[in-house]
Amino acid sequence: MVERSPGGNGPQRIDGDAARPDATAVLPAALAALVDPVVGILLLAGIFDGISGNPIHGVVLCGVAFALAVDGFGRRRGEPTPRAVPLFHAERVPTLLVVALATAFAFVVGGFGRYSWPATVVVVLLGTAAVVVAWRGSLRPGQEPAKLDPAGALSWASVFIALGLWELTQLLLQPSLTTDSNAHPTLSVLSDPVLGTHPGRSIGLFLWAAFGWFLLQR
Amino acid sequence: MSSHDLTIAVYVLFVLCGVGLELLASGKRSRIPPLRDVFSRVMRTRSGRVGVVAGWAWLGLHFFAR
Repeated sequence: MVERSPGGNGPQRIDGDAARPDATAVLPAALAALVDPVVGILLLAGIFDGISGNPIHGVVLCGVAFALAVDGFGRRRGEPTPRAVPLFHAERVPTLLVVALATAFAFVVGGFGRYSWPATVVVVLLGTAAVVVAWRGSLRPGQEPAKLDPAGALSWASVFIALGLWELTQLLLQPSLTTDSNAHPTLSVLSDPVLGTHPGRSIGLFLWAAFGWFLLQR
Repeated sequence: MSSHDLTIAVYVLFVLCGVGLELLASGKRSRIPPLRDVFSRVMRTRSGRVGVVAGWAWLGLHFFAR
């Protein structure tokens, strides 16, 4: 049965059998959504971070993984994909305003104690807001990015994977996962002297915010 | 050289590798893409974009939050 929509946007199929997704496709769609590498990585990272004594990190990572899995599940069942519409366009935001906001954020939040609740609340809120913005699309939408040369992509991947493995090695060489080691320092241990001070935290937070702004425009 | 020094030397090596790749990428006929192109490519899908931004959020949590 075909009926014209009230808004006059052309015929819409409202045949129930045709519109209803095939029930037998639910399981494969659910499995496919779960095996998305991004979902898997976030889920594993969230679980291990959570059981290592960082429940907030675990909740954030697993929450994002769950949202992506649900989104992927819906799309694999044939639900329409909404067009990516960014919340706003980066070109319309003056660079000076971004720098001023990032500086104010870094100065104020850097004044809070490291690992304190006020710092945690602000970082969680900003991180969540950035994920929501990223969900809607790039703040600088343009053409499809060009394919990467496999050799070039492999070069960058090698550096990041090797760095991750080296960091993991140092972590596992510590007396325990929660006891720092001077002989095998991780990046967080090395950053302690800098991030232990207000100016150091402010510089770190400014760089973190700037990197986030860079990513939201990719 | 102590374990501490070796660990730091390897971290420095990774930084130098990253800087070296970025410099190589600036060549006109280079096969190495600049890092921004790598991010653009990885983040062309919703899953990739949200995953990378979630990783960035985790960095903030890891270094500054509880």
